[in-house]
Amino acid sequence: MLIPLSWLKEYVEIKLPLKDLMWKMTEAGLTCEVTKKVGDEVVLDVEVTANRPDWMSILGVAREVAAIQGIKIKEPKIKEIPAATANFPIDLIPNFDLFERWSAIVIKDVTIKPSPKWLQERITSMGHSPINNIIDITNYVMYELGIPMHAFDYDEISGQIMTLEKASGGENFTSVDGESYKLPEGAMIIKDAERIIDLAGIKGGQNSGIKNSTKNVLLHVTIDNPVLVRRASISMGLRSDASAIYERGPDKGGTVNSLKRAAGLILELAGGEIASKVIDFKKENFEPKTINLTFGKLKRILGIEIPESEIIRILSSLSLYPEKIKDGITCTVPTYRGDIKIEEDLTEEVARLYGYNKFPTTLPVGQVAEEKIPYFFDDSLILKIKDILVSCGYSEAKNLSLVSKALVDKFETDPKDYFKLINPVSLEYEYLRVSLIPSLVANIKLNPVDVLKLFEIDKVYLKTLKGANEKYRVAGISTGKDFRDFKTVIDIILSKLNIENCSIEFEVDKKYLHQSVAGVIKSGSHIIGEFGEISPVVLSAMEISGKVYCFEMDMETLEKLSYTKLFSSIPLNPPQIEDITLVLPPKTRVGEVMKAIKNSELKITNLELRDIYKDSYTFRVWYQDNSKNLTDADVKSIRDRILTLLKSKFGISLKD
Amino acid sequence: MQEELINLRNEAIAQISSVENTIDLEEIRVAYLGRSGKFTLLVKKIKDTPSEKRKEFGITLNESKNTLERLISDKKQEMIKSISEKRDWFDLTMPGSKLDLGHLHPLTKVLKEVKQIFNFLGYQIADGPEIESDYFNFEALNIPKDHPSRDTQMTFYVDTKGTDLKPSETILRTQTSAMQGRVMEKMKPPFRVLAPGRNFRYEQVDASHGFEFWQVEGFVVDKNIHLTDLFGTINYVLRELFGKEIKTRFATTNFPFVEPGVDTYMQCTICKGKGCSFCKNTGWSEIMPAGMIHPNVLKNAGIDAAKWNGFAFAIGLSRIVNLRYQIKDLRTLTTPDMRILSQF
Repeated sequence: MLIPLSWLKEYVEIKLPLKDLMWKMTEAGLTCEVTKKVGDEVVLDVEVTANRPDWMSILGVAREVAAIQGIKIKEPKIKEIPAATANFPIDLIPNFDLFERWSAIVIKDVTIKPSPKWLQERITSMGHSPINNIIDITNYVMYELGIPMHAFDYDEISGQIMTLEKASGGENFTSVDGESYKLPEGAMIIKDAERIIDLAGIKGGQNSGIKNSTKNVLLHVTIDNPVLVRRASISMGLRSDASAIYERGPDKGGTVNSLKRAAGLILELAGGEIASKVIDFKKENFEPKTINLTFGKLKRILGIEIPESEIIRILSSLSLYPEKIKDGITCTVPTYRGDIKIEEDLTEEVARLYGYNKFPTTLPVGQVAEEKIPYFFDDSLILKIKDILVSCGYSEAKNLSLVSKALVDKFETDPKDYFKLINPVSLEYEYLRVSLIPSLVANIKLNPVDVLKLFEIDKVYLKTLKGANEKYRVAGISTGKDFRDFKTVIDIILSKLNIENCSIEFEVDKKYLHQSVAGVIKSGSHIIGEFGEISPVVLSAMEISGKVYCFEMDMETLEKLSYTKLFSSIPLNPPQIEDITLVLPPKTRVGEVMKAIKNSELKITNLELRDIYKDSYTFRVWYQDNSKNLTDADVKSIRDRILTLLKSKFGISLKD
Repeated sequence: MQEELINLRNEAIAQISSVENTIDLEEIRVAYLGRSGKFTLLVKKIKDTPSEKRKEFGITLNESKNTLERLISDKKQEMIKSISEKRDWFDLTMPGSKLDLGHLHPLTKVLKEVKQIFNFLGYQIADGPEIESDYFNFEALNIPKDHPSRDTQMTFYVDTKGTDLKPSETILRTQTSAMQGRVMEKMKPPFRVLAPGRNFRYEQVDASHGFEFWQVEGFVVDKNIHLTDLFGTINYVLRELFGKEIKTRFATTNFPFVEPGVDTYMQCTICKGKGCSFCKNTGWSEIMPAGMIHPNVLKNAGIDAAKWNGFAFAIGLSRIVNLRYQIKDLRTLTTPDMRILSQF
C-alpha cells in the first residue's frame, strides 16, 4: 500500500524524524522499510498484513501514526448528504450471503470532466492515472477511508433494478477498461434487467460504466463476501486494490460514511443534485463490540507487568475506548478493527505499542517432557553414516525433491509410480523422486572431473494406495574408480554399523542398474538396498561416458539392523598369520569362497583378499585360538580341512 | 687367567671408545656381555681357576663387567645426545601424501548446530511428512480455506490419482509449522519441539527465492509461557549461532496461528548494519518469524487454551546458512558442484 506523505499529513502531524517513524511503524506491525518518490511527493511503501484492512487506507495509517506518536488525528470533515431534490427509482435486491451490506445513492445532472489538479495529483501519487472526476472521486475515497466503491451510469441500469448472483461459469464480461473475460463459476455479479453490469469486488462493467456523456450516477459502497472475491480474482488472475481490501474484510460500519464522503465530493466537483434517499441494506447493525482484557491474562501472556495507566493510555491512543472494570479493562472496538476478536488480540495491541523492544528477556522455566514426543526423530545414525561417507571421500549433495519427466523416463522408471504435481512451476520440477540416484547421476554433468564421489541422505516419496510413504535413503555415486575401489564404501558402511549376515542377490528389478554388474544387498531376509553399475543405456541417455557405480540403502532398515557391539577382550594368544594363494575355477564368486572359509572354521579369525592375478587369489589368513597357542601342526590341520572343503565345494586348489 | 681377563677388558674398552654408532655399540655389548659373550663365557671358567686365585679373579671379573656396562651406557647416552644435537638438512615443506576426504553439506553442519542448541534447551526433534494435508498445513493453524494470508504461501497440489488421498486436500507442505497440529493432537503438554525439514512453495526461482527451502519450526506448550520467554529464546539461539555481539530487534507481525505475532530482525552480520546487498541496504535481516500460539490452534488440537499456552517460531535454515557463509545466491545450496561442496 502506498502512503503519500503529504496526504498522510492532512490527518496527522509527523513529529518523529521519518526514519525513526518508519521503524516505529514496523515495530508496531505496519512494516515500512522503503520510501519512493512520485514527482515531488515522498511516498511510503507499507506492507499490510492480512488481518488489517484498515491499514489499506490513508486514514487508517494516520490513526496508527498518531497512536505511535501519542497524538490525535484530524478526522476528515464529512458533510451530511443534502436532501434529495428528486426521486429516481432504483431497486436493489439484497443477498446477504454475497453482500453483507449494500449502501447506495443516486446523484443526477453531474458534469463529467477531468478532476481538479489536487485530486489528479492524489491519484497519480497512488500510482494510477486520473480518469474523470467521478471515477477519481470513488478511488480517492477508497484510498482515504478504506472501503471500495463504484459509480454506475444510472441510465444504463436497465429496468432500474440490480440483483446479485453467483456466476454459473463461462459468462462473457467486458470490464470498464475494455478487457473481455470469461467468468469463473462462483464469481459475484450484479445484473440489471438484461445483463451483467458488474463483477462485484473486482471490476465494473463497460456497459454501465461512467462515460463522458453520463448525466446521472448511482454510487454504491458494498461489503462483499471476501471468500468469493478472493476465489474469483485468483482464478481470473485479476488482483486489484479493491479485491485486496475485500479479501481482508473492510469496515462494515463505514459504508454510509464513505457514501457521504464521495457524494459530497461529487456535488462539489461535478455538480448535480441528490436524486434518491440513502439506500442501506445490511445483514445486521454493525456496531462497535466490547471485549474485556484481564490484567492477569495480560501478565501471563506478556510476562511483564505494565502499569494500568500505561495500558489505558495505549488502548485510548488506538481509539479502543478502555474503561476500568474489576481486574481489568473493557474496550469498545470500532467496526474498522474487525481484526480484534478475542482477549489475546487486545494483549497484542498493548504489547506492540508498549514496544516489543522494551521487554526484558527470559527463558521458559516450565517442565521438559519426560516421554518421547510424537514424530520423534533421532538422526544420529544419519550423521554417523554421513561422517563415514565423508571419510571415504564422498561429498554431500542436496538435490531438489522435484525432478523432471525427462529424468523419470531416462532412468526407465514408470511415471505411474511417482507422485506428480498438478501445478508445477515448470516441467523441470514436476515429479517427486522415488530414488536419490537419478539426481546424483545428473550431478555428474555439473562436475567434469576424473573422479567424483557424491552422496545424499534424504527422503524419497513412494506412492502407495494409502498415500505417501516417505522414506529416508542414503545413496551415493562414484566415477573414475574400479569396482573394488567402489565396493569399499559398502563394506565400510555395513561393518561400521555392525550389520551381520550380509549377502548379495543377483537379480535387481531396477532397470537403471546394469543387468550383470548390480545386486541387492541383504542381511538375513532384510533387503537393505541395491548397488552396482548404472546401466549403459541410462548413461547414454544422460550423455555420460565412463562407468558410474552407485548404491542406495534404506535408512530405516539400516537403523533396525545396526547395533552396538559389545567389547571383546584382546585374545591372550597371538595369531598365526600366513598368505595362501588359491586357484579359482572360472565364474567362482570369491565372496562366497571367503564366506565358506570363515563360516567353516572358528579358528580363522580374519581373512583378507590381498591380491588377484588371473585365476590366482592370494588371501591372508589369521589363525587364532583363545585357549592356546596354535602350533604349526595345528595350523596345518586347519588349512588342510579348509582346502578339502574348497576342493569339494568349489573345485579350488592350492597354487603350487 | 687374570691377565687374559684384563686384556679382554682393555680390548673391550678400546672398542667402546672408538665405536661410531649405536648399532655397533649394541654388537659390542652382545659380543662381551651377551648370553654367549666373552665375559659371560669367562664366568663359566671360574671353576677352572685355582682356588687361591678364584676370589681375586671373581672380583676383577665383576668389576670389569660393571665397568663395561657403565661405559656402554654412558657411550650410548653420549651418542643419543650428539644425534639429537646434530642439525641435518630436512625439507619440512614437503606436502603430505594425498588422502581424499569428502565434504559435509553446509545445511548439515548448520542444522547440527541448531539441533544441539535446542537440545540443550530441552527440545526434542520431530520429523513429519512433506506430502501434507491442507488441514495440518493451514486449517489446524487457524488459516481457513480462502484466507488471504495463503497468498504468501502459494501451494503445490499433488495429483492423488492411484491413491486413497483426497484430491485438492493433498499438498506439499509450505511450512514446517504443519508439525504443530500433528504433535499437539497426539500429546498432552508440556512439550518443546523442534521440527526441521524441507518445504515447498510455488515461487519463481531467483537468487533469494526457491520453490524448495529448509526451515526449522520450534514450539513450546506449557502452563505459563510468556512473550518475554520467546524474546529470550530467540536472542539466546541467535547469539549461540552468530556470536554474542549480534544485535536483534523485534517487530509486530501477523500470522493467523500466533497472537501476539513477532518478527525478528538481526543486524546484518555481513555489513554490521551499514547496509549491503544481503540486507537490501536496510542493515537488518528478517530472520525468525514467531509469536505466542493462537488459542484457536490449541483448541483445534484439543488442548485447553485456558490452562496451557505457548510460543512458536520458524528459522529459515537456508537463510542462516547463507548468512553464516556469506552465500549470496540461495541456489548455491542445491547445486552439487564440487567447486562449491569442497569449500565446506
